[in-house]
Amino acid sequence: MKYLSEYRDAGVARGLIARVRARATRPWVLMEVCGGQTHTIVKQGLLELLDGAVEMIHGPGCPVCVTPLEQIDKALRLAADPRVIFTSFGDMLRVPGSECDLLQVRARGGEVRVVYSPLDALELAVRHPDRQVVFFAVGFETTAPANAMAVWRARELGVGNFSILVSHVTVPPAMTALLSASDNRVQGFLAAGHVCTVMGWTEYEPIAARYRVPIVVTGFEPVDILEGIWMAVCQLEEGRHEVENQYVRSVRREGTVPARDLVSKVFQLVDRKWRGIGEIPQSGLGLREEFADFDAEYRFGLTAIQVEESPECRAGDVLRGQLKPFQCPAFGERCTPDHPLGAPMVSSEGACAAYHNYGRFRQARPAEV
Amino acid sequence: MCLGIPGRIVEIHDDRGLLMGQVDFGGVRREVCLAYLAGQVQPGDYAIVHVGFAISRVDEEEARRTFEALRELSQLDELDWMREVAERSLAGQAGPRA
Repeated sequence: MKYLSEYRDAGVARGLIARVRARATRPWVLMEVCGGQTHTIVKQGLLELLDGAVEMIHGPGCPVCVTPLEQIDKALRLAADPRVIFTSFGDMLRVPGSECDLLQVRARGGEVRVVYSPLDALELAVRHPDRQVVFFAVGFETTAPANAMAVWRARELGVGNFSILVSHVTVPPAMTALLSASDNRVQGFLAAGHVCTVMGWTEYEPIAARYRVPIVVTGFEPVDILEGIWMAVCQLEEGRHEVENQYVRSVRREGTVPARDLVSKVFQLVDRKWRGIGEIPQSGLGLREEFADFDAEYRFGLTAIQVEESPECRAGDVLRGQLKPFQCPAFGERCTPDHPLGAPMVSSEGACAAYHNYGRFRQARPAEV
Repeated sequence: MCLGIPGRIVEIHDDRGLLMGQVDFGGVRREVCLAYLAGQVQPGDYAIVHVGFAISRVDEEEARRTFEALRELSQLDELDWMREVAERSLAGQAGPRA
């Protein structure tokens, strides 16, 4: 409770928690698919406050965490190439590859630079015509419009020394894959508000109908999340399965149309591996044929690299809701934010790091129960 | 990177055919692409910005709320990346890099 009391809307939040607890006739299992929401849920102690009424499973909503090992290894190889200036969002630098991470490659002399926007990387390419500038294009639908524009712009301006290493993923196919699994426990979803700000929610409508699950588009603040949970629980109690929008102040049904348009001009749906989960059909974005010149995997001959993941990291079980982070034998011992075995312990949006940072293992660790 | 950061559009200009603008994020200013909100924004407006691209317009109160919520949740890493890029670019202007 002390976490929530630090929050300025604590009174509203408590009211929602009381309503959810009174309404739930059984413990419902909901999944959020947004690292920002996971962070809020764990930090504010919502798990404990809803205990018995709602169980939250933290889905594969952190783009850093789901980037497959082989894409990380390709990034490491590019970053070590003396021809290349490798550019990335800051949170990819500590993600462990098979042998090291990007920070270690930088320490050994590789040129790795943090950028805020892919347009920063394009600008670097313009300023360094003698070097190859590669941008690590990761993320869900929120970063796709930015990466699409960087490639579009590179072609428009004729910047031949710019390319991207693409590891884009999209949320709806992952939800479908989770719901199709024989061991699925998820009964309703909170969809990520900022993803839907870009994409709208039309893609979720067939999923809600086919699998008969409520899907509530939800923001990332504590009150947003509790309201989203409340709406999902009401649907479950009433036997409804619809797409509803809690995050009305940001999301419209059709999303941001010019951004969606450019994303579909530059990218197409491709099969994509998710770290810890495996390949999900048509779950990623890859560059369309006409933009293949800007694909770093072709330019540097990396398409054949395939890597098996370490068996010790149980990220896949965590992301599918089969295992709580603190139930992993390596959690907090051989795997910590300073020495992560897998990506969910690296990113501030990762479920394992959230549990570790906010001490969520101490009271809940099986050995101490 | 999944959560956009709200900022105030300070100025709008055209960069070789692309709509760009200066955006202020709680005191940190940088160049942002406004192409996806072309015709919808003016200086003084607020927008949610994802990795350098304005994606949706919001009102001032919502922008302030969201910024504070991100601060409370320690989800403002991207401001550090902005600073890192800005510092490097200033270092680049001062002279050749080692």
